[in-house]
Amino acid sequence: MSWSRRLAALLPRTVTEDSGGTEPDARFTFANERTFLAWSRTALALVVAGLAIVQLLPPFPGVPVGRPLLGLPLIALGGVLAVTAYSEWVRSQHALRRGEPMPRSVLPWILAATVALIAIIAAVVLLISATQ
Amino acid sequence: MTGPAGQGQGQGEDQGQGQPAGDPQESDTGLAHERTSLAWTRTAISFGAVGGAVLKANVVTGLIILAIAPVIWQLGRASRGGAAGPGRGAVSATRLFLITVAIIAVALICLAVAIFGKSAPGALR
Repeated sequence: MSWSRRLAALLPRTVTEDSGGTEPDARFTFANERTFLAWSRTALALVVAGLAIVQLLPPFPGVPVGRPLLGLPLIALGGVLAVTAYSEWVRSQHALRRGEPMPRSVLPWILAATVALIAIIAAVVLLISATQ
Repeated sequence: MTGPAGQGQGQGEDQGQGQPAGDPQESDTGLAHERTSLAWTRTAISFGAVGGAVLKANVVTGLIILAIAPVIWQLGRASRGGAAGPGRGAVSATRLFLITVAIIAVALICLAVAIFGKSAPGALR
């Protein structure tokens, strides 16, 4: 599927017109909505953590790019997480309506990989600035 | 975990209480509704917290993000008011899409502040 069609499939109007299958149990719909809300809070936390690193931390001695290097990817990840969470909500709702197996979520993988990467970068930046 | 015997007991109870056969756990939907509205409240508070934090880095940007919090709160109230009906999926698609747009906007604003804003180093010291 092309990117434009994938994006168009996420618009609320397209989701609304997706009337295939039957309305799922309300509890499942609520649970799916809560999962999305929890991921969006995680995304917000990442964004504000990135901003705090860039704006509020004292500079790392000897590593002038240290703060942007740590903070900017976190902010970008927050945005990616929000969009992915919404697309997963759409896919899950689609699967619930049709009684299909729930799609596998890529969100934990994205989050874990990026947090690990940020941790490694943070350790390297701290080691370099400690030796200055 | 409930085995076949446990399930049998549950069904017996439901029939004993005279619940409709097609909707045996109607009260549970209320709890799910409650949990969901609490999740909306947490999300609105998160926006408020982010706005407060950004306020420290950049006042105007912080106020803009703080203004989003009551909007999210209102979106959550919409979910509280409307019961689970046939049109629910359509309504929530728009509301969740708006949340996604709001987070993207906040991320872009924070990115701009992080790159171009005057930093206040040592504010967390």
